[in-house]
Amino acid sequence: MPGRTVTELERRYGRRGADVLGALRDVVAATGRIEPADVDRIAAELRLPRAHVNGAASFYADLAPTPRGRRHVRVCAGTACFAASAGTHLDAVAVALGAPVGGVSEDGGVSVQPVHCLGYCYGGPAALDDEQPCAGADLIDQLTGGADPRDPEIPVAVAVEVPEPIVLAGVAGTGPEPWEVWEDIVRGGAHDRVSREVKASGLRGRGGAGFPAAVKWGSAAEAPGDGDRYLICNGDEGDPGSFVDRLLMERDPHRVLAGMGLAALAAGATRGIVYVRSEYPRARDALRTAVAEARAGGQLGADLFGTGTGFDVEVFEGAGSYVAGEETSLIHSIEGLRGEVAARPPYPTEHGYLHRPTVVNNVETLAAVPWIVARGGAAYAQLGVGGSRGTKVVCLNERFRNPGAYEVELGTPLRRIFEELGGGPRDGSVVRSIQVGGPLGGFVDARDLDTPLSFEALREIGADLGHGSLIVLDDRVDRAMLERHFWRFAASESCGTCAPCRLGTQRGLERTAGRGDPDAATAFEEMLEAMERGSLCAFGRSVPPVVRSIERVYGAAP
Amino acid sequence: MRVIVDGTPVTVAADSSLLDATRAAGAEVPSLCADPRLAPYGSCRTCMVSIEGTDGPVPACTTPAAEGGVVRTDDPVALRTARLALELIVGQLPVSALDQPPERSELVRACLELGIERSRFRGERAAERDDSHPYVEYDAALCIACARCVRICDELQGTFALAMVGRGADTVLAPGSGGPWSESDCVSCGACVDSCPSGALSEIGLSDPRPIERTTTTTCGYCGVGCTLDVHTRDGQVAAIRPNRAAPVNRGHACVKGRFAHGFVRSRDRLTTPLIRRDGALVETDWEDALGHVAVELRRIGDRYGPDAIAAISSARGTNEENYLMEKLMRVAIGTNNVDNCARICHAPSAAGLVASFGLSGGTNPFEDFDRAGVFLLCGSNPTEAHPVVGARIKQRVIAGAGLVVVDPRRTELADYADVHLRPRPGTNVAVFNGLAGVLIDEGYIDDPFIAARTEGFDALRELVADYSPQRVEEISGVSSSDLRRAAALYGGGDHRAIVWGLGVTEHAHGTDGVRALCNLATLTGSVGTADGCGANPLRGQNNVQGASDMGAMPDILPGYQSVADAEVASRFGDAWGIRIRPERGLRIPEMFDAAVDGRLKALIVFGEDIAQTDPDTAHVKAAIDACELVVSQEIFLSATASLADVVLPAAAFLEKDGTFTNFDRRVQRVRPALDPPGAARPDFEIIRDLGAELGTDLGCSTPAAAFAEMASLTPTFAGISHERLDRDGPIAWPCRSPDDPGERALYRERFETPSGRARLTTVPYAPPGEAPDREFPLLLVTGRRLEHYNAGTMTRRTRNLELVPEELLELHPDDACALGVGGGDRVRIASRRGEIAAIADVTDRVSPGQAFIGFHFPEAPANLLTSQHGDEVTSCPEYKVTAVRITLDG
Repeated sequence: MPGRTVTELERRYGRRGADVLGALRDVVAATGRIEPADVDRIAAELRLPRAHVNGAASFYADLAPTPRGRRHVRVCAGTACFAASAGTHLDAVAVALGAPVGGVSEDGGVSVQPVHCLGYCYGGPAALDDEQPCAGADLIDQLTGGADPRDPEIPVAVAVEVPEPIVLAGVAGTGPEPWEVWEDIVRGGAHDRVSREVKASGLRGRGGAGFPAAVKWGSAAEAPGDGDRYLICNGDEGDPGSFVDRLLMERDPHRVLAGMGLAALAAGATRGIVYVRSEYPRARDALRTAVAEARAGGQLGADLFGTGTGFDVEVFEGAGSYVAGEETSLIHSIEGLRGEVAARPPYPTEHGYLHRPTVVNNVETLAAVPWIVARGGAAYAQLGVGGSRGTKVVCLNERFRNPGAYEVELGTPLRRIFEELGGGPRDGSVVRSIQVGGPLGGFVDARDLDTPLSFEALREIGADLGHGSLIVLDDRVDRAMLERHFWRFAASESCGTCAPCRLGTQRGLERTAGRGDPDAATAFEEMLEAMERGSLCAFGRSVPPVVRSIERVYGAAP
Repeated sequence: MRVIVDGTPVTVAADSSLLDATRAAGAEVPSLCADPRLAPYGSCRTCMVSIEGTDGPVPACTTPAAEGGVVRTDDPVALRTARLALELIVGQLPVSALDQPPERSELVRACLELGIERSRFRGERAAERDDSHPYVEYDAALCIACARCVRICDELQGTFALAMVGRGADTVLAPGSGGPWSESDCVSCGACVDSCPSGALSEIGLSDPRPIERTTTTTCGYCGVGCTLDVHTRDGQVAAIRPNRAAPVNRGHACVKGRFAHGFVRSRDRLTTPLIRRDGALVETDWEDALGHVAVELRRIGDRYGPDAIAAISSARGTNEENYLMEKLMRVAIGTNNVDNCARICHAPSAAGLVASFGLSGGTNPFEDFDRAGVFLLCGSNPTEAHPVVGARIKQRVIAGAGLVVVDPRRTELADYADVHLRPRPGTNVAVFNGLAGVLIDEGYIDDPFIAARTEGFDALRELVADYSPQRVEEISGVSSSDLRRAAALYGGGDHRAIVWGLGVTEHAHGTDGVRALCNLATLTGSVGTADGCGANPLRGQNNVQGASDMGAMPDILPGYQSVADAEVASRFGDAWGIRIRPERGLRIPEMFDAAVDGRLKALIVFGEDIAQTDPDTAHVKAAIDACELVVSQEIFLSATASLADVVLPAAAFLEKDGTFTNFDRRVQRVRPALDPPGAARPDFEIIRDLGAELGTDLGCSTPAAAFAEMASLTPTFAGISHERLDRDGPIAWPCRSPDDPGERALYRERFETPSGRARLTTVPYAPPGEAPDREFPLLLVTGRRLEHYNAGTMTRRTRNLELVPEELLELHPDDACALGVGGGDRVRIASRRGEIAAIADVTDRVSPGQAFIGFHFPEAPANLLTSQHGDEVTSCPEYKVTAVRITLDG
């Protein structure tokens, strides 16, 4: 991959903890745009090649060379906000603020940038006015001074089947404290207890791929080589529709950190990094505060409880890229490189951050670990169905009567989530489809509601557990609007590494905009097949199934 | 590991990819983003294949092969996927992208293989061409975002000048910080152009669609690395030169000189006819007249003053065969040992030091050993500029984790990558090396069993270096004692230790001592003559420094370093040549100048060297030329020397020659003519042979191959090498004693070639340099080479390299610049005890305070007006690296 040798260079010569994206972000904040001289300066300071700093600067939405206004408004273009406004809010914001979408007003006063997404799916449409969240049906008023900015809290509930909240233990205020088992485990040197309990729990990654957590830790622990090993918490919850990671990072950050610590012991990692997306400034701040508290409290540091065991965590802020949620891309991002996906093998567990063994776990995965270690893996494994054990926090969007985050047992039928927890569609909304599992999950409809919420069952109906979101789209959104929305997302977030995704998403977008070549229409089905079979990562491979699921629910194209 | 590809079982190495397996099976699988020299990337998705038992096609390049895997390259789904990927790629390019000849475009070949004539997709981008660089042409509209250019710049060259920018469909290559190519960090190695599959990166000669008529594989005529080049020609011109992928030395890599700087060969001012001085002016004449005149004059001078009034400077630029013929001419036709070559003024101390320490006059280990080196001790060498392919290889190894100690007063590029950079005051190497030896001994880094079994002189060395405590070394050299200890610990504590040096070790008043003191470090640690060690290797300056000396173009030796004073040797050669070999040493180059000024030398033949620009103390050299009654210059251009000569003989350039060069790791490699010499110019081989005939001596050797064969028949260390064998087997390292001897890649595994068979630990005390600063000349000037130019610049200044570096710069430390009131870009005058020149100041902390650095590539800033006649007391190699100067703001 480009950057392979740069990573070696960085490992051997780079400044420890050099934050390329942070340095670039500071430039954007200070001057509105990155000039070649800024690239040269940052490259020299951080001892990195300027071409690669330039490559990174051009990759991330937060840093890209579109000019910035003095006031920068990031407007959520995620699916839930799209569903909330029936696709109208983005243009409306642009008109109201007098700046084109993706551009700056003539007087340079304000710029509008679409982003995927801000995690206000339960109360959108939403925007970040600089770093001030604004969300609600009156978004325009909030942005133009007609109403106070609103930052609605995430409604939270735990379904009755779950004996006590697990992931939401802290948010719900019952269940074990985050650091409850930490000292005992560290003092007792009982690192294998963590892997044993988590193995017994059957916990699988909640980021979408569903890889068994204990197996991943074991691979990293057994990877050869000396030097640092890393545990990275993936807080790049880019999936429009999901806000569980934001919820956990903002409201129970210590549970995330404690989960990281336990996972790190199991994986043999000595250093932790939380990667928080820049669209979540509150989560970033909450984590920074929690890290400081944990250091002060002795839970994090170079010598924990006098045992000589060390584990510390740094908080790293992303710079605007959906694909950065993919683990190889996320690692590149922390290294200050372009967030390109790399072919695997080699896997990060052997060849990760700075080419050291690295575990990347999702926030929700890690937040389950303190409970599992405290209560035992068996207790966790009692919940669930088939290969899908434990609980999942599902996120319901603003079109539901009762939007919010619900911790449910895996295996719970969609219908129960949809009807009993979500209360069905809000008044006046007629459900047209439900997207399950984020932007790369699938669209389902009423026919599919008896499907249980599990990795396996959702795949069977062409959806995906993904981040566990359910987005209701009502009948104000038609097929063409939805397709355009989806292809725009795909084209704007494709990292560009592999040809089928890089070019297929762009050609697909042009087609929905009616700009595609007539010739290309004949090749469209073949193109979808090539994207699905030939793309480098799950992003490109997932685009065609989503397109087909739209077709399935909305009927064939006219 | 066995893999079955389309039904054919193939055996591949354990870490192979499926692509390797399909290649081994001879299957045609396009792979636009793959280059065997790079880590797999998996971007283009045109190499899709199926594996039995796996759902769906996989990219062959990034999928590891597994034992017993059953691979199909003709799987319909895989082929559809690959075709579609390629169609999408082609759809983003202008239609003309497929107009390129298939042999020059992987993209076109891939389309032919997958049956794509046009794409059903259209998404052409608006893009501007970047023609800002003299050699690299970049057409972004043709970029397919495979990042081969980026990766090869990172992974092979190590310059990191390129990156992809943008994302999604906008992803495209951009150099540097996004400005024009010419302002990027590009060092013009050409690797990106060679790897680019789509024609986005090209060069003038290859973007021209006219077919290549002929491709000749030869050896580069610039530095001593010895890169194999494929020279593409048409219409009697070089269309392009590309590094040969199969070459054992350069493995498909090259540098701005070998790769691009060939324009000189058809420069309008090439010498195309002999010139003779009449009435003070050089006028054109024919060969008969020119050679006749030379012969008459040589005979006259020989008759009148004796044969020792005639001398020849042979050429480390010329072939082995030409050097053999030149020394034979002097010894047979003239009857003198007055023949020397320009190794004298660069690496004679390396030869002398290596012989003294180990027995043979060559680097001890092959270049490929650098790939396994765990630590490098790099002394007085700036290989990323002077030997770029070696520099790139060392850099990659170091980035991957090998230790690096750089000993150089100047902060070179590799010093930026070093773990420890020692910056001794110029002329104090011996003290530093003795100090390192002392620390190695004191701290227990030495290999006692090796020392006991295979060396001699340890006790004396231990006694000597006891006087070189780190504190004392610090006083002498300015190198801090803690840095010295760290350097010793890194070298001594490393595995597969490699010592590499350049002219910063040799071009000193005690250059041979420096080489010997440095070789001691390899010996003490058992790093030479062992399986573990990566030895001690000098990086030779010119293409054939090794070979010119190997061939006996030296005043005291015959081919293979056989002494003229050895009666057995003398009779062997004397019998073969029909003469008596005189046992006394002839004149060395600096002695030739002295002898001419003193009136003892009357005729000087100068073959391919611009002594009036490159030898030290130009005024003295010119006085010597003036004093001679006959000066003959064999040249390709009217150099400073040629313009002072009495007869100028137009010669062939390396691209027009047949023969062999021997590179820095003793590899004898073929040189083949890609072009005919222009006009009446002739290869030096013919010139020397014809001159012999004019003098009435038939030198034999009707062809270069015959010359090599004759030399080999008289020289045991070359006995197994012949042109025929080189053409068949490729490069062979000497010693090679018989036709079935593969050649010794690493020396001394059994015994050292000293009389005792043991490596000699030599005791060389430090002595101060010949030249010292004083109040009048307070700064120390070091001369050296720059990447873009080569020595006198005769060749490179006649290429577009001149656009890359148009003039000479004097590097000056900011402290000194401030004290002198000099700013960057100011014109300064540089005066030494011998002369004065002007150059543009480059204020940089790459030089130490009190020191300055200058190249010697431009006649407008002839650095050798400044340098002195101080020379190595063993070999007479000039002290180019230490000149006391005064610098003042000009005007």
